[in-house]
Amino acid sequence: MLKAIKKYKAPYLFILPFFLLFLVFQLIPTVWTLYISLTNWKGIGTPDFCGMDNYKKIAVDNMFWESLGNTVIYWISGLILILCCALLIACLLNSRFLANNTARAFFKTATFLPNVCAAIAMGLIFRMLFDENVGLINEIIALVGISKIPWLTSTTFSKIPVIILNVWRYTPWFTMILLSGLLNISKDYYEAATVDGANSIQQFWFITLPSLKNILFFCSVTLTVDMWKLFNESYILPGPGTSNSSLFQYMYESGFNVFNMGYASAIGVVLILILIVISLIQFVARRRQGEL
Amino acid sequence: MNRNKMLSSIIVYGILAFITLLCLFPIVWMCLISIKSTSESITGFHSVMVEQPTLDNFRRLFTMIPVWQNTFNSVFTTIMGTVTSLFFCALAGFAFSKYRFPGRTFLFYFVIATMLVPPEVGSVPLFIIMKKVGLINSLWSLVIPRIATAVGIFYMNQYITDVPDELVEAARIDGCSDFGIFMKVILPVIKPAMASWGAITLIARWNDFFWPLLYLRKQAKYTLMVTISLLPVSEGLSTPWPVILSGTTLVIIPIIILYLILEKFQKSGIMEGAVKG
Repeated sequence: MLKAIKKYKAPYLFILPFFLLFLVFQLIPTVWTLYISLTNWKGIGTPDFCGMDNYKKIAVDNMFWESLGNTVIYWISGLILILCCALLIACLLNSRFLANNTARAFFKTATFLPNVCAAIAMGLIFRMLFDENVGLINEIIALVGISKIPWLTSTTFSKIPVIILNVWRYTPWFTMILLSGLLNISKDYYEAATVDGANSIQQFWFITLPSLKNILFFCSVTLTVDMWKLFNESYILPGPGTSNSSLFQYMYESGFNVFNMGYASAIGVVLILILIVISLIQFVARRRQGEL
Repeated sequence: MNRNKMLSSIIVYGILAFITLLCLFPIVWMCLISIKSTSESITGFHSVMVEQPTLDNFRRLFTMIPVWQNTFNSVFTTIMGTVTSLFFCALAGFAFSKYRFPGRTFLFYFVIATMLVPPEVGSVPLFIIMKKVGLINSLWSLVIPRIATAVGIFYMNQYITDVPDELVEAARIDGCSDFGIFMKVILPVIKPAMASWGAITLIARWNDFFWPLLYLRKQAKYTLMVTISLLPVSEGLSTPWPVILSGTTLVIIPIIILYLILEKFQKSGIMEGAVKG
């Protein structure tokens, strides 16, 4: 062991910063969260141990269940809408009918730009676009005869602007990843399929999709983490009261607005457990398919 | 057959043009409103017509919030964060891809696995740790924890794997030290990857909101993003929309310009070579 460390001093030294930072800023905080969650600490004074009290409170806390439900809505709608849109745009950008390279480069850059824009700034813009009385969106839907929708002030509709903002900002990122996957698929497959008389839809279904399986899996795993730690979008587009609050946002507010650190930590632990369970399910499902 | 091809082309161009419109419209619309005078109508379709372009909204913004101070904070954390992160991620990526040390595979999968639980869930103790080491209200609190990130190491590892081993071997035979190889051989070769990952990190750090909100607790230390988020309430809920949107313009337009410049330095697409099926 010591000999190995001596022989490979350089590479161990090169990866050391990551592991040190991981220890201080990720592992210790995670374990510490577990400890604080068992106390009724309020941010000052000494924490008193109170066993599972915080978890019992969580079980009957409507706010907790509401924000958990919201997060699940953001997560599922994000997975479906973002990955479908990204796949569509990536296929279009890679299409052989897009013959002009200048046009291709232009579309590639233009469709990536939403990802460059800050969620906070775009959230403010969306607030104005979706405003009930002065917003442009209501004016546009009025053209097709739909009456004004209170996007941001009714609990029925308030999550829609958040979901749209998510799709608008996250899709370009996954488009880029899927596009790089598409470029790796050999053109020979498509030529052979064309010779055999397969149409575009069949080619997409039997060549494109199976080849992208690994990348789509990678995308869904990273997108899942992104959606469960959603904060900026629902923070800047709050809706009436707490109706748009995500679970992570509820945790932040319990900890740093109400200074109920013990309770916030308990929510943190629940979040960690949920993320671990989701990852395990994803990887087991993958292994069962014979991949990995 | 030829007519079919024509039709397909039109459909592809048509859908892409429509998507591009959806992508660019909110940005252009924001710029238009930010130069409208406060007396002009911003309701519905009137909002796209600018009759008297003016910079008054920006002037008013500068009197409302310490724009220069906050911009400096944002620029400082963005640049320091990107430079340190690029260096240390490339260094670790180099170690994982060019050395066969014991535990390499396990440690690499470990790095990947750390991505599954985001550090944000431990923000209560993180705040305490930062307080203990005196980094609350310090810009370094945004730089230090993310000097080496898992996703950056993953990206760099993928890219450096493609650098021929012979290059590294040749340098070693010439008596180059391990760190010397990294500085003199690896870094110059991976410039395109550095440009791509640099662009991604710059954008992410500039747009960072949660960490500055958590760690920076007075206005002189706010980053631009935190100040902008407070604009709607900074005049008691009556801040005019054009002023708010001039703030968002100030945040969005510089980073778009920077991205367009950096894109020229990337040999290929931003994710190419990084993800393999």
